Amino acid sequence: MRDAFSTELIKLFSKDPKAILLTGDHGYGLFDSLRKKHSDQYLNVGVAEQNMVGVAAGLSRSGFKPFVYALSCFVPVRVLEQIKIDVCHDKLAVIFIGDGAGFVYSHLGTSHQSTEDIAVIRSIPNINILSPADRFEMISCVNLAYSLEESVYLRMGKSDVGDIHQDTPQLKLGDLLPIKVNKSNIHFIATGSMVKTAVTLAEEFEVSVSSAPCLKPINKEQVSQICQRNEIVVTLEEHSIFGGLGSIVSEIASEISQAKVLRIGVEDRFTEYCGTYNYLLKEQGLDLSSVRSKIKNFLKKA
Amino acid sequence: MKNILDVNDLRKTILRMAFKGSTVHIACSLSIVEILAVIYRSHLNYDVKKIDDPTRDYLILSKGHGVMAQYACLRELGLISKKDIENYFGDGTMLKGLSDSRVPGLEVCSGTLGHGLSVATGLALGAKRNQTHQKIFAVVGDGELNEGPCWEAIMFAGHHKLENLMIIVDKNNFQALAETKEIIDQENLSKSIESFGFEVLSVDGHDEQELHTAIGNLFQSDTLKPKAIVANTKKGYGISFMEDSNEWHYKRLDDETYQAALKELELKK
Repeated sequence: MRDAFSTELIKLFSKDPKAILLTGDHGYGLFDSLRKKHSDQYLNVGVAEQNMVGVAAGLSRSGFKPFVYALSCFVPVRVLEQIKIDVCHDKLAVIFIGDGAGFVYSHLGTSHQSTEDIAVIRSIPNINILSPADRFEMISCVNLAYSLEESVYLRMGKSDVGDIHQDTPQLKLGDLLPIKVNKSNIHFIATGSMVKTAVTLAEEFEVSVSSAPCLKPINKEQVSQICQRNEIVVTLEEHSIFGGLGSIVSEIASEISQAKVLRIGVEDRFTEYCGTYNYLLKEQGLDLSSVRSKIKNFLKKA
Repeated sequence: MKNILDVNDLRKTILRMAFKGSTVHIACSLSIVEILAVIYRSHLNYDVKKIDDPTRDYLILSKGHGVMAQYACLRELGLISKKDIENYFGDGTMLKGLSDSRVPGLEVCSGTLGHGLSVATGLALGAKRNQTHQKIFAVVGDGELNEGPCWEAIMFAGHHKLENLMIIVDKNNFQALAETKEIIDQENLSKSIESFGFEVLSVDGHDEQELHTAIGNLFQSDTLKPKAIVANTKKGYGISFMEDSNEWHYKRLDDETYQAALKELELKK
């Protein structure tokens, strides 16, 4: 998925000399080819994320197309105010890429884990949120982000959980992508790395699965239909259960349907221990067997 | 001929707004009057009929709390009406108590400090890459320099040799609650900025000729360095009972103080 990101970026930068990548001294190895081909379109601004966003705002106003790259714990979380005031208030078109979202930096501890980023960005006007699940969705998302001429937060989470799609999907801003269709009255809606988990569990529970690569805006019509046609909707995300996909779906469901929504995500706690990515998922109740149990328990009560 | 952007007139407008709106932040507006007047009058390539011209020079008021001084200039330039001044802070009016980019003539939102300088730096980098020969001015408060992003921007501008950027520090030696030297001492401010690759001059920030000459000389300099002027000013300058008296950061004018302040300005004519 990171290769797909890098490759698409080079294609866009070849076409558009005003495109410029800003990084806060992050992205080891990720931009080597870009730097070789377009060295003047790559700018390491130093370990200074707040200034990076202000500089991006100034560059955008000067006719450039800035892509601002950092780890998701820095962009958007650390620089939230700069994004709000310097960029979104003035309706500038800056693309923010938050890498390593969720528990990717499983050994590094809370400072580098990012499970509140969707929630905080979502409440700011004039910015879209994209959250691809695999390399094919990434290709769609990068190109969609570039074409919008609006600000975008592109959330890049665990990138090597495997493909969901076989080909690059056509993606219209806001749309959910149907992944599996089943006749049961249960529907899984997942985003990012958790789409894979949803697909893995789909057969067992005989459910339909949709991927939500666009979190803001989200196609309200599609979500409404899912909530009206199903008794139970399960949302899955490597993000807090507050303010992310689970909240988005619940808000829509509460307006138009009787569907019960189970929000699977991080349950309002920091991680205590370090370990592998899979260990962290387990600690947070997001590994396959924990997710399975949560769904079973919910179905029993429903 | 009447001097355009006469500093006495500008101060009267500030007082009028502050009185009508019953606002705070009077003294930190009064300290930057000469700085803004000289930039607008003699150095800013800025057409009031084309305020969105992408090739314009930029005057970024990073210390957004001094916005009444910029409103006063925009009033003289015809971008703000007498009605705007008289209705300051009225319900549904546009002019806010801090710089806001939605107001015609204001470039940035700088109510939270430490933003404007970074945006100015980005504009300077963009202009340099576009080879448009634009000048980017950023007016920064000495209190504002407590903010870390200011120094991130200063380091960045020095490293990238943004010779089209000029920072003007309104060094009035006060911030919201006390003298800067009591909070974060900046005794060696010029040297600090210089150490990051800037060409720096220190001037009397209320001497229009000195400001004018310093700005001109710095931009004529052929060193590829960003520029900074440390403008030594007085908070509340121009009104004797406000000068160097930090209570006028938050104190509001009443009838008596408003009339007394106006009278002082009349006597200076």
